[in-house]
Amino acid sequence: MSPQLLFLLAFTMDLISSFISILVGYHAFKSYKVSSAKSFLYLYFGFTILGVGIFLRAITVTFFVLVFRIIEDIPSSLLSLSNFAGIIFTATHLVAYSLFIATYVIQDGSSGQQDLGVGGAVAAAVFPVARLFYIPTLELLAITMLGFVVVSSLMNYLHKRSLNSALVFFGFSFMFLSHLFFLFMIFDEFLLFYGQIMRLIGFVCLLIMLARVNRTHV
Amino acid sequence: MSKKHKEYRSKIRIYADILNSLLRHGGSSGPTHLLLGANLSYDRLMKHLKQLIDLGLISEEKNDDGRIFKLTDKGRAFILEFAKIEKFAEAFGITI
Repeated sequence: MSPQLLFLLAFTMDLISSFISILVGYHAFKSYKVSSAKSFLYLYFGFTILGVGIFLRAITVTFFVLVFRIIEDIPSSLLSLSNFAGIIFTATHLVAYSLFIATYVIQDGSSGQQDLGVGGAVAAAVFPVARLFYIPTLELLAITMLGFVVVSSLMNYLHKRSLNSALVFFGFSFMFLSHLFFLFMIFDEFLLFYGQIMRLIGFVCLLIMLARVNRTHV
Repeated sequence: MSKKHKEYRSKIRIYADILNSLLRHGGSSGPTHLLLGANLSYDRLMKHLKQLIDLGLISEEKNDDGRIFKLTDKGRAFILEFAKIEKFAEAFGITI
């Protein structure tokens, strides 16, 4: 797989993830408008912020990848700017996860080495730039916060035993896994790609849940 | 000794209970059936029925048997919307 194709794939995955996130947020807002339940409002802000964050990160990473490919001597100011953008984008995730926690609280790698051969060129072209947008310390914080959300959604599933609650649990679990991949990217840059796949699977779980909810008959 | 928990019902859920009770009776019913279906006192039921009429979710007709409340199209749409919200809320563990 060529670096360009892989980069395009990662970009597309981010776009789909952000779209689904905003869609879930929109559904939560619709529910809030009818029911006035505050938890829906937290969910709405959480998924909207997360979706916008992922979208902006995808756009900005693309911009920096293109700029860094053109400019040979990257000025330190540009590197600082990309680092700053990374902090901002990770912060949007943390804000979103705080809101997910509020929703629940207010209520009651081994193949990487093989792929490195294929991904060697990709890593040279994309990952050194893209990984600037992931800050290990903040990823640890995200893992902790999302861990709480995963446990809460698991408890909800065990209580309700419905497929929809299982899909929400799987959705958050895959997002949790994606952050683990992002964290261990310091050892293998290709894990960024796997992390994006995990996140997309998580959002697809939420999309299936939404589709099932919208198929409801009285 | 068993402890009885009185579960709090939000206004929106009471509305849904009344409308679902109407739906179960074929879309129209007198207050007696609704009292049982929605599990409310007469005064509270009348207060909520008036609000539902104001919202256009039900209509009221008077005949020889007394007052009949009928589910409107808007009311049917509300029931469907509420059922979706309920499932969405259940998936995330949100109480409405």
